[in-house]
Amino acid sequence: MTASPVPARDEILARLTGYLTPEPPRFRGEAEPLPTVPMTVTGAPSGDATLAAMFGSRLEDVQGTYEIVDRPGDAAEQVAQRIRLWCPPLFDDQPGAPTQVLAWAPDEIGVPNLENRLRESNIELLVPGDLHEAQVRHKAAGLSVGITGVDAAFASTGSVVLASGKGKSRSASLLPLHHLMIVPASRIYPTFEDWLRTLRQAGELENFLRHNAQVAFVTGPSKSADIELNLTLGVHGPKVVHAIVVDDGTPTGS
Amino acid sequence: MLDVHAPFESRVTQALADDHLRTALDRATTRLAERRDLAVAAVDNPALRHEVRAIRQFAITHLPDMLQQLETNLIANGCQVHWARNAAEANDIVRDIARRHGVRRVVKSKSMLTEEIGLNEALETDGIEVVETDLGEYIIQLAHEPPSHILAPVIHKRAEDISDLFQRELGMPPTTDPGVMCATARQELRRKFLQADMGISGGNFAIAETGTICIITNEGNGRMVTSMPRVHVAVVGIEKVVPRVEDAFLLWQATTRNATGQAVSVYFAMCSGPRRPDHADGPQEMHVVLLDNGRSRIIDRGYPDVLLCIRCGACVDVCPVYREIGGHAYGATAYSGPIGAVLTPLLADDPTSVCELPFASSLCGACGEVCPAEIDLPRILLDLRSDMVNAGTSSVLERVAFTSYATGMQKPWRYRALVVVARWATKLLPRNGSGGLTKLLPPLNAWMRTRVFPRFARRSFRRLWRKRSSGRGIEPSR
Amino acid sequence: MAADNSKSARPRVALFVTCMVDSLYPDVGIATADLLEQHGAEVIFPEGQTCCGQPAFNAGFRRDASKVARHFLDVFWPLVRDGGIDAIVAPSGSCVAMVKHSYDILFADDEDDAYQHKAQEVSRVTYELTQYLVDVLRVDSTGASCTAKLAYHPCCHLLRDLRVDEQPRRLLSHVEGARVVDLPSAEECCGFGGLFAVKNAGISTAMGRRKAHHLSACGAELVAVNDVSCMTQLNGVLLREGHRCRAVHIATVLRKSEAPQGEEPHA
Ligand code: SF4
Repeated sequence: MTASPVPARDEILARLTGYLTPEPPRFRGEAEPLPTVPMTVTGAPSGDATLAAMFGSRLEDVQGTYEIVDRPGDAAEQVAQRIRLWCPPLFDDQPGAPTQVLAWAPDEIGVPNLENRLRESNIELLVPGDLHEAQVRHKAAGLSVGITGVDAAFASTGSVVLASGKGKSRSASLLPLHHLMIVPASRIYPTFEDWLRTLRQAGELENFLRHNAQVAFVTGPSKSADIELNLTLGVHGPKVVHAIVVDDGTPTGS
Repeated sequence: MLDVHAPFESRVTQALADDHLRTALDRATTRLAERRDLAVAAVDNPALRHEVRAIRQFAITHLPDMLQQLETNLIANGCQVHWARNAAEANDIVRDIARRHGVRRVVKSKSMLTEEIGLNEALETDGIEVVETDLGEYIIQLAHEPPSHILAPVIHKRAEDISDLFQRELGMPPTTDPGVMCATARQELRRKFLQADMGISGGNFAIAETGTICIITNEGNGRMVTSMPRVHVAVVGIEKVVPRVEDAFLLWQATTRNATGQAVSVYFAMCSGPRRPDHADGPQEMHVVLLDNGRSRIIDRGYPDVLLCIRCGACVDVCPVYREIGGHAYGATAYSGPIGAVLTPLLADDPTSVCELPFASSLCGACGEVCPAEIDLPRILLDLRSDMVNAGTSSVLERVAFTSYATGMQKPWRYRALVVVARWATKLLPRNGSGGLTKLLPPLNAWMRTRVFPRFARRSFRRLWRKRSSGRGIEPSR
Repeated sequence: MAADNSKSARPRVALFVTCMVDSLYPDVGIATADLLEQHGAEVIFPEGQTCCGQPAFNAGFRRDASKVARHFLDVFWPLVRDGGIDAIVAPSGSCVAMVKHSYDILFADDEDDAYQHKAQEVSRVTYELTQYLVDVLRVDSTGASCTAKLAYHPCCHLLRDLRVDEQPRRLLSHVEGARVVDLPSAEECCGFGGLFAVKNAGISTAMGRRKAHHLSACGAELVAVNDVSCMTQLNGVLLREGHRCRAVHIATVLRKSEAPQGEEPHA
């Protein structure tokens, strides 16, 4: 691969060390010392709205939609209705093959009685096993709705955290045209920085990233402005992102 | 599109003659700059700039430590780490990975670095199909053009141009509706994603403490490329490393606010290794190529500042020169605008091979004012100009002109004599109706082709001053 | 304060007219001196002065620039050292920026730091005209009048290097009878840029045309600028392209006298 006797790694590191020491590099302009904790860039909206409402309105700012469910027990009903809104049944009287939706494992979504309620509407959750298997992949790619929970959400920007993991496929929030996310109000933080601080102080931040191969921050539907800066939605990821915020009665993790 | 391999003069002339191009550039850069202004006005931008600077400067100052820490943690996360001195080594590494996996199709998310090293071409020589999946990059790939902006690669194209291209290449029915064009691309690219054997991405930041590669996208192709294929290769410049998780979040928000005016991008994918055995999706192998390609040499050349860049493109959008000529006039390079004018020569083996770039600026300072990393771009342009002059790139005419200038200006009598000569010389030159000159001697004749030049005053200020003072009975001071 | 000037509290100002004003636009220099005197300064003109060195510095010819800069300091520094003057004032943002910010770079590599030191002392007392009028002489209105539709173009070095913007705008807004119009994209460069204007004449002209277009769009009859180099660029384009608007140096607008005529090339 390389003809040079010194491995690239050693040569690059040696070069850098040579250029950077003992004299530090001369920058044009002074820098302050590394901040102990970086500043909060995007603050939470002020006012006395609940974090759930703030999160929702920020999500709307970025072309997402939301609803707030006051009792966890009602969430399953809303999920079923939302899916039926997006995928109306083909025949009204005679239920045909069930409507499949790509989903996280029900435990990870965290809505009580979800599977039973969906079965009543002839909806079935498809929790993929191994998406590198052609058949599974083919099936998953054909579905138009994905359902996930979230690991955290933010009132400042309308963003959510989706960590990949067991029963938590990336595809459910990525492949279908519609993404339905269940957001427990207790997981909404005012800002990214609040969340980072909480995890850092609990000693969990590093592991959270390292143990979940991919941690994705998602803020509204997929968009592009490449064609004359015209906003278009659903370029690769979902075109429609809807959050069902469930007031689970617990104060936020912060 | 203009010929990016033509000489600089000719590229500029072609660009200036292209009215469509300049309309497109004007619209796009103005809107981007306006959005950016609003987005940074909504936060404590001076403080944000200080912190971006502090984080980036810390990382660059401690690069060897940072990189080793990054490497250790990437490996601990199950990544395979490769180091490459230059473009050829990096391309060979990626080709080698592809060969070992029998890769036939590659999907890529946007990466200026792979543009810089010509990775696509290298893979194509092995018969591998490489598909750019960022909508903009996809469009220019179909059109066989290089990107003309570090962020908005098709900023130079109108909707009509893109529609023609899609009709020709993808059989799309005639329409200029961006929604339809976008849906056409989605369909086409979705097939590619599902079939791809390997995904290649860049990396906006590499977090040393956790071994995490962060990728910013709005379309979601970054997540697709890092999730769907069995193999993910991230090609990352060695300067991209940051110490802590929190730093990446600050830089992410600084980037998006300055790039597109968004508080955050739609997607921010933080990748720390291949999927775990019980995960449904994600790559089975993740490779990280840490590439130097002239970056360390930039420190040695005395310009560590440019390594602080987070590629937000803000300097490009406010640049009045870029607005007139667009990215292709900067040549066959991945980087244009002010950052391109400094980065392209500094990355080159021989900076004088692109000596014209640092001079193509009016030094208006707009770039330095917006840069979130507080890079003093005008100062760097000036320093590069001085380097170019010292390397002997200037014309004989320029050298003579400035030598005589310096000689003349060091003694007031010589200076006065020069002015007298200039005044008499210009008296002989043709004039227009209102007395302005219409011809000058070289190198000033370039002025006259498009502009009027004033005549020298009949009486210089110092003569008027003497008269004024003597009229009042005051002695001229020494 | 000048040591030997106990009989009055008038600040003594050394005028640096700049080479372009001296040879091309002497009237701008006279207007500058008039303004300073009208508002309480005593003006002297050190005759040894030539240029600040900016053209060569910006073109990358630092050795040549440094020779000229040394000459500038040889002329002005003794005045500062001896307390003979309180300030150096120039009707140019870019020349002042050169003295205040670029001399540091120019002399940074000198073996002995004599000139670096001189540059720092001189830099401390050097001002652009409107900056001096407002910040030091506390002028609010110069008592000038003008009936034209007037726009203001902030020159880049003044705006971004010296951070002087509010001062000239305030003085202009107090010109009697003036109708000050908003110039769209005012902060965009006019395209002059020294050597750039000839080395990259095509781009420079395109930038000038854009500015001319904005000037026409806002209906300005006169556009005031703080640098004669930008004025030359603007008039070069405005005249050639047959626009009605003319660029004038702000000193000639602010001077208490009849309305300025616009800097036509001297007939
Ligand atoms: S130089 Fe500064 S403004 Fe330009 S792309 Fe880099 S970070 Fe952004």
